[in-house]
Amino acid sequence: MSTTRTIRFTLNGRAVAADVAAGETIVDMLTLRFDLKGARESCGQGLCGCCTVTVDGMAVSGCLSMAWFLDGTSVETIEGIGTGGALDPVQEAFIEAGAFQCGFCTPGFIMMVRQLLDAHPDPDDEEVRHYLTGNLCRCSAYPEILTAVKLAAAKRKKLAA
Amino acid sequence: MASFELIEPQSVEEALVALDSDDPAVRPMGGGTALMLMMKAQLFAPTRLVSLRGIGGGFSGFSLSGDGETFCIGAMTTFSELEQSVEIARHLPVITQTMKTLANVRVRNVATVGGNLAHGDPHLDLPPVWTTLGARVRIIGQSGERVIPVEELFVGYYETSLEPGELIAQVLVPVRPDWRSFYAKVTTRAEHDWPALGLAVSVLPEGERIADVSIVLSAAVDRPTRLVNAENVLRGSVLCDEVLTRAGEAAVAETDIETDNRGSSAYKKQLLRVHLGRAIRKVMGA
Amino acid sequence: MTATTPAPSIGRSLPRLEARDKVTGRVEYVHHLRLPGMLYGKIFRSNVPHARIKSIDTAAAAALPGVYQVVTIEDIRKVIPHPYYGPAFHDQPILADGKVRFAGEPVAVVLAFDRKIAEDAVALITAEYEELPGIFDEIEAMTSDVLVHDELKPASTFPDLQHLKGRKGTNIALDYQLRRGDTEAGFAKADHVFEHTFCSQQVMHIPMEPFVSVADYQDGHLTLHTASQGPSFVRIEIARLLGLPENRVRVKVPFLGGGFGGKLYIKLEALVTALSMVAQRPVKISLTMEEQFYMVTRHPCHFTIKSGLTKEGKLIARHCEVIWNGGAYADIGPRVTQKAGFTSAGPYDIENVSINSYAVYTNRPPCGALRGFGAPQTAWAYESHTDMIAEAMGIDKVEFRRMNMLREGRPQASGTPLRDAEIERSLDHILDRMNWSLPFDRGSGTIKRGRGIAIGFKGITAPTTSVAIVNLFADGSCALYIGTVDMGQGSDTVMAQIAGEVLNLDAASIKVIHPDTDVTPYDMGTLGSRSTFHMGNAVKLAAQDAMGKIADLARELGLPEGANLPLADMLRKKYGMQAGNIIGTGSFIPDYEKPDTTTGLTKKGTPFWGVGAAGAEVEIDIETGAIKVTKLVNVADVGTAINPKAVQQQLSGAAIMQLGFTMTENMVFRDGQLTNGSLADYKIPTLLDIPREFINEHVPNAYDKDGPFGAKGAGESTTIALSPAIGNAVADALGVRIHDLPITPESIFRALQAAKGTPLEDCA
Repeated sequence: MSTTRTIRFTLNGRAVAADVAAGETIVDMLTLRFDLKGARESCGQGLCGCCTVTVDGMAVSGCLSMAWFLDGTSVETIEGIGTGGALDPVQEAFIEAGAFQCGFCTPGFIMMVRQLLDAHPDPDDEEVRHYLTGNLCRCSAYPEILTAVKLAAAKRKKLAA
Repeated sequence: MASFELIEPQSVEEALVALDSDDPAVRPMGGGTALMLMMKAQLFAPTRLVSLRGIGGGFSGFSLSGDGETFCIGAMTTFSELEQSVEIARHLPVITQTMKTLANVRVRNVATVGGNLAHGDPHLDLPPVWTTLGARVRIIGQSGERVIPVEELFVGYYETSLEPGELIAQVLVPVRPDWRSFYAKVTTRAEHDWPALGLAVSVLPEGERIADVSIVLSAAVDRPTRLVNAENVLRGSVLCDEVLTRAGEAAVAETDIETDNRGSSAYKKQLLRVHLGRAIRKVMGA
Repeated sequence: MTATTPAPSIGRSLPRLEARDKVTGRVEYVHHLRLPGMLYGKIFRSNVPHARIKSIDTAAAAALPGVYQVVTIEDIRKVIPHPYYGPAFHDQPILADGKVRFAGEPVAVVLAFDRKIAEDAVALITAEYEELPGIFDEIEAMTSDVLVHDELKPASTFPDLQHLKGRKGTNIALDYQLRRGDTEAGFAKADHVFEHTFCSQQVMHIPMEPFVSVADYQDGHLTLHTASQGPSFVRIEIARLLGLPENRVRVKVPFLGGGFGGKLYIKLEALVTALSMVAQRPVKISLTMEEQFYMVTRHPCHFTIKSGLTKEGKLIARHCEVIWNGGAYADIGPRVTQKAGFTSAGPYDIENVSINSYAVYTNRPPCGALRGFGAPQTAWAYESHTDMIAEAMGIDKVEFRRMNMLREGRPQASGTPLRDAEIERSLDHILDRMNWSLPFDRGSGTIKRGRGIAIGFKGITAPTTSVAIVNLFADGSCALYIGTVDMGQGSDTVMAQIAGEVLNLDAASIKVIHPDTDVTPYDMGTLGSRSTFHMGNAVKLAAQDAMGKIADLARELGLPEGANLPLADMLRKKYGMQAGNIIGTGSFIPDYEKPDTTTGLTKKGTPFWGVGAAGAEVEIDIETGAIKVTKLVNVADVGTAINPKAVQQQLSGAAIMQLGFTMTENMVFRDGQLTNGSLADYKIPTLLDIPREFINEHVPNAYDKDGPFGAKGAGESTTIALSPAIGNAVADALGVRIHDLPITPESIFRALQAAKGTPLEDCA
């Protein structure tokens, strides 16, 4: 009976392994087995984005995705971005724009904005609004988030130049 | 959720064997989004899930057939793959258009074409679009293979014509360069929401005349539904207000629209009248 | 204390002290807390709105491997003999006690080491009910024979509720009255009398961090880790329930993932405490998003407003009949009823005012405080009414407001004079940002455009106390000990700025110690726009106290006047080594005069006035009723903006929240059952819902002379006037009036059809 399995994957650049049950979600595994707190379950339905992580560079809802399938993949969470203690440009932009209040949705937004900028390095407002409809901020720091995306895009361009 | 078995077959044959069971709690799984939602809501407790991720074959990828007349889309193709495809944007632009407001990026990254169809949820955006495009589905089961029009897949509220153990393998979409299609996702509670009604239309225009037309209504009805009487009003007609009004009334008369949290029956009928006319005008370029 | 002078703190947009922890995901929430040996509790809830419980079958759940225990009220009664709690009434049982009063009420709890097992076990519990008729509508509940509670049980902490004690045969939990002048005589004298009714719907706070509490009870000592906005209240109420002194109950609160008034008073704390006592282990309960809808919500409100005017348009009499649907348990509803009742006649100068405001029990989920404490529901009525009167009398809507506006020094309905409340400047600011004097595009074809404005105000819960401690360590560095909860509003940063200003320290270097009732002093709660004003004053006093002690120390050390020896050096001089502290304390309670028990009149009923104004432009498709708010302007009087950026975020965030309550959010019930209790079906604003033109500003150079450095609260002001501004814009566009929130495409289309004499059938 294959109700549990050992998965081996890369978590924020480190090779790791975990024994998971079928149906166990990524966010539960990250929280309970790796003590990571950045991906959080909130709506539980993939609508709010608080649990966003990337799997092989693609954003997924950690609350709706089974950890089972992570075997052989590379997983990145908010804890893995930035380099050597320095913040990622998107994190910097969020601070500079004041793009959060309570902070609960913030890691999910940041992970999603990174993916947005990978796909659209210079997005216009409407692109940003559509791309981020799956991320909810009840404090409603939305105007500041729009500003942060612009700032982050500029920072990335500057880094690339 | 109680523990269950998860199997990852590496071929269609293995998958069909794993699914060969009288137990209704044995199910195939594509991207898994809908299943996870049902499992978390304790609406469904599987005893065995059969993941189709590894089965390969025609289930993954999509391409234009040799004769250039049909798009063959593997059931395990994700929405993001469709959304980002230049080929799809060229030949099936209505699919690209629909993707923009379908769920959210993370769902589109994992949700699959086949899983979406097999779910049978009448509020989904793509089923009416496939239907209006004249798409068919290739279904594989223990007893062989069959190909049916997408609309024949839906037999009721969350009910499909798939037999136990059958899998959707591919969606076959005819390439019809002379046709134009549009999907109107009409939301009433917020801009981003499940549709109160989904309206997919395709027309074959001949100048101002509608040479042929296909209209599919979803969300407001229990399954994606062809609006045959409205099509009949429009087919062969020259586009004008009077014809659109008649088509709208025919559409309202031939459907059974129920009240729900997205709107009363009377209001959704009004939305159908208005948006049908607008959608037809849009695809006719008027 | 350094020799170099840091930049002044007040008026500086300092980034949040915890900004880095929030963008890296490391910030601490109770959501993540796990204690050794901890059990997870999962709640079994009633599926009927009103019933006697005949039996609860927990056997199958208890038998599931991995289940530690299944708990019902019988188990709880063994550890807490009188298991009823609540801030205003002791009416809420820790678990259903013989009866359920709303669908979704907690009936039993499964405890397990594994959360999933607890969830599975809950599905195995069954209960048998004898269903009772339910009462859901507030108007019907006023006179219904169906009674939600047999007897009213006001908490002894509220002297003004004691007359309700033991009252039977009613669903009315509070009957607030205000009588000023002679309203009947005013109406008799009036040339014109208008009466309209407006309704607001039930909505929910939806904090992204759902309600969560952890209790650890051991040998007569309790530690609660809880996502609460009011740790001091939690301690007092739990100590009362357990019969313990306050010093045996410790309540710790890290950051909150949103609160908005929901996480106030006492929520899951009583339940987890009881469970921890029963199980003799730490117990955690985290609600899911769906379960949050059964915790606490915002009151539906039914408001009939009647006004008498002279032929010139001067308001001379107003009667307000305000009925609040409080749900099954009072929570803080009676206070909402009273506080919002108090200002329900609006920011107008009216000689004769009478107000009746009723809190009513029904079989719905309980209602409590939500960002504005009822003020938004009342403003929806009085500002829609204002426009309707002006229209009917042919008076310009702005002029009509100016003609009747309450001005500085004039008594508000309660007799409390308006003071430091920039109502007119808020209105002027709105008009300016709306380009009100310029021609306006009214749309074409099937699109109609309109614009509207509204003003509003609110009183602040009084009298309430805040206490603060400033601790300067031996090296001169500083920590601030306060009970104010940072739930996203930025209170840590603002309080550090206030302390920094007085202590001449860089605010960013100050450490703010989070609420821990063993460590931080009393605070009434982080609620009702009170923290900047009350705790800000307490922090300022504490810092001044510390400065006084430093001056004393300088004298003691014989330093010459004007010496600026750093504190670290002074302490070293005194103690001969790096040692010692300077501790400053501050306690603040504003002036207050209790309202007269029969007339409700008082000379000092609020510590300050919250003031907000809004302007909206809308675009409506008349064939479908589809509406877009294309421009939204919100202005508030916040006194001095201690941190302008944080203020701007509060104004904008509160406005978007109220935009949700105006346009999209609605808890829909059928036969007492919530039908849309998840974010898939209860629609809160997303980025797509934010108006393309969206302006949020505070009135410049406003100053509240009682506030710290002139500041007052900013968290709620922009919720007040927003809904009527949009309603007025809709009326301006279409010539039809929406009376009930939310304003949906269907409600607009229905109103249009009704006005045409072809009403749409079968209202949903």
